[in-house]
Amino acid sequence: MSSSTLAETAERRLHPAGMLLAALATVRRWFGLAAFPGIAALLNGEFGMRTLLLVLLGIALIAVLSVVWGVLSWRATTYQVSGGAFHFKQGVLQKSERSLPLERIQSVDTVQGVVQRVFGVVGVRIEAAGGGGEPEISLSALSRPAAGALREELTRSTRRASTEVLDEPALLRSLAVRDLLLAGVTSGQIGVAATVVFGAWQAVERVLPRDFAQRLSEAFLPRTFSELLLLLLAVALFSWLLAILGTVFAHAGFTLSRSPDGKYLHISRGLLERHESTVPLARIQAIRVVEGVLRQPFGLASLRVESAGFGAERGVSTILFPLIPRREVGEFLRIAVPEFAAPLDNLKPLPGRARRRYAFRSALPVLVLATPYAVLFFPGGLAGLLLALPAALYGLLRYGAAGQGLDLDRLVLRFRRLARTTVVAPRGRLQSRGYSVSPFQRRVGLATLKIEVASGSGGTVFRLVDVDAKVAEGLVEALSERARIV
Amino acid sequence: MKTEPKQRLDPRAKLLWRVTGTLQAVPVLVGGVFGSYVLYASAEVALHLAVLPVLGALALAVLLVGLLPTLLWRRWRYEIRPLEIDLQRGLVQVTRTLVPMARVQHVDTRRGPLQRRLGLATVVFYTAAGPNEIPQLAQKTAAEVRDRIAELTRTADEL
Repeated sequence: MSSSTLAETAERRLHPAGMLLAALATVRRWFGLAAFPGIAALLNGEFGMRTLLLVLLGIALIAVLSVVWGVLSWRATTYQVSGGAFHFKQGVLQKSERSLPLERIQSVDTVQGVVQRVFGVVGVRIEAAGGGGEPEISLSALSRPAAGALREELTRSTRRASTEVLDEPALLRSLAVRDLLLAGVTSGQIGVAATVVFGAWQAVERVLPRDFAQRLSEAFLPRTFSELLLLLLAVALFSWLLAILGTVFAHAGFTLSRSPDGKYLHISRGLLERHESTVPLARIQAIRVVEGVLRQPFGLASLRVESAGFGAERGVSTILFPLIPRREVGEFLRIAVPEFAAPLDNLKPLPGRARRRYAFRSALPVLVLATPYAVLFFPGGLAGLLLALPAALYGLLRYGAAGQGLDLDRLVLRFRRLARTTVVAPRGRLQSRGYSVSPFQRRVGLATLKIEVASGSGGTVFRLVDVDAKVAEGLVEALSERARIV
Repeated sequence: MKTEPKQRLDPRAKLLWRVTGTLQAVPVLVGGVFGSYVLYASAEVALHLAVLPVLGALALAVLLVGLLPTLLWRRWRYEIRPLEIDLQRGLVQVTRTLVPMARVQHVDTRRGPLQRRLGLATVVFYTAAGPNEIPQLAQKTAAEVRDRIAELTRTADEL
C-alpha cells in the first residue's frame, strides 16, 4: 500500500469484440431453451410453411435482441484501477459495481476461446482471496496489450518495484507432441468417457421420434453374446478415442515457465481454447506425483499441485505437468519447485504386520457381498467368493506401494488408490497433523497417519493407514514447531 | 506425544449430549414400535419375533442416551500450548490432532440454544484447511480459551 507507484487509470471499456461475445452468450442461453423442442418438432416432421416461418422469425428475433443486448452490456461494462483497488462496473438493467483491493487479488489468468482467438483478444479472469461473494471477476475481451497492461497494474502492488525486470519468463518444460499423445493413451479416463457415451445415447434416444429410435436400436442392439462383446469393444474403443481427444484438447502445447522474479509459475495449455494460469510459488501447499495404472508400468507420472485460495471450490488440485518420466521427476522438482524437492524413493515401508490387514481390508467388501450369494445358491454360489482373491491381491499391492519418509522439513507419503500417489508436503504447509487408532489397530500397535493441507478454499487430507504407532507418534512430534526451534 | 492433552470438556457436556441423544432416539423408538406393530398386527408374525424391532430400538436409545455421552466425554481432551493446539477425541477410533498456532487464522465461540440453557459454548478455530472445534466448554472457560488462542496466534505470527 505504501508504494508510490499506485496506478491511477481512467475508466476503460472492453475490446469491441466484447459486444459480440455478450451477444453470443445470450444466443447460447436462449438456444439451449429452444433447441430441444425445435429439433424434436423438426424430426417429427410436423411442420408446414407456417411453423418454419415462425421458427425463422423466432431465430431472427433472438439474434436481433441479442445483438442489442450485447451492445448495451458492452457499453455498461467498464473497469478501472484507482485508489489501490480494481473497480468493475457491469449490468444493463441491474447495475453492479465491485471494488477489489489490489492486495486481495490472487491471480490474473487469461483464457482464449475460439471466438476470442478469431478477434485476437483474450478473456481475463481475476481471482480474489477468500471472503464471501463471487471469488472472481471475468472480463470477456481485452486486446493483448490491454490485458498485459492490466495484469501489470494489478500485480504491481504485490511485487516490489525494484525486482521488476523485463525479462521473458524462463521456460521450465514443455510437452512434446509424442508425450501429449502418450498422455492421452494412458490417461485412464476411459470410464469417464464411457459414461459420457452412454449418457449421450440416452439423451439422443429421448429426443428422437420413438419409431426411429426403435429402428436404430433394433439395428444396433446385440442379439448374441459375440455381438454384445463386439458392441462393448466398440464402445470401449470409442471412449478411449474420446479420452485421447479430451487430453489432446486440454493439454496440447502445455508449457510451464517461471516468471523472471522467480515467484510465479505460468502454465499455458489447450488446443482450441488456450488457458494461461499463474500459480504463485508461495501458495503451493503440496505436490502430488500420480502414477496411473496405465502409466506406472511405463515409468510415467503426472504432477499436480495443491494450492491455497484458488477459485470457489475446495480441494481442487492443478496439473503442474501432465506427463513426465518418473525418473526425471526429482530433477524437475528441484528446478520448478525447489521447496518440494524431497527424495521420492527409498521411503520406509509399513511394518510387516500391516500386510494382512491391507489384504483383509480390500477383500472384506467382496466377502460381505458374496457371502449371501454363496448361501443362497449353495454349491454354485461359492464361486463368487473367489472374487475375494483378486481383491486381496489388490490390497497387497496397496501395502507394497505404501511408505513414508521425512527429509529435513518435508514429509513424503506414498499410497495407492488404483494410481500410486506420492505426496510431498513441507512442515510449514501442514494445517494440522495427527493420527487415529482403531481398536483393531491398537491391538497390533498400528495407527493411521493424517495430515491436512490447504487446497482451494478448503483443505485436503492425506492418510497413510497402518503405520507403526510409535513411528506415527514420532513423525507427528518431529513435525512440531518446537522441533524446528531446537 | 506420550502424554494425553490435559484439559477435559465441561462435565455438563454429558447432559447436553444426553438431551440431543434423546432427541435422536425418539424417531428411532417410534420406528421400532411401528415396525413391531406392522409385524404383529398385519404380517401376523409370532409375538416373540415381532418385538425384535422395539428391542433393537430400545438398545440403540440406551446407547445414545446412556452410554455414548459418557464415553465421548471421557475421551475428549484438549490442551492449548504456546505453539500448538492438541486435540484428542473419538469413541471407537481415537483421533489425535495437532494444529500449529501459526496456522490458526481466526477463532470464535459459538452457542446454540441448548448450550445457552446449560451455560456451555463451543470454541471454533479456523485454519486455511477449515474449522476445528472444541465443543461444550463452560462459557467462561470458552471465552478464556478463545482469547488465549487469539493471543497466541498473534505472537506466533510475530515469530
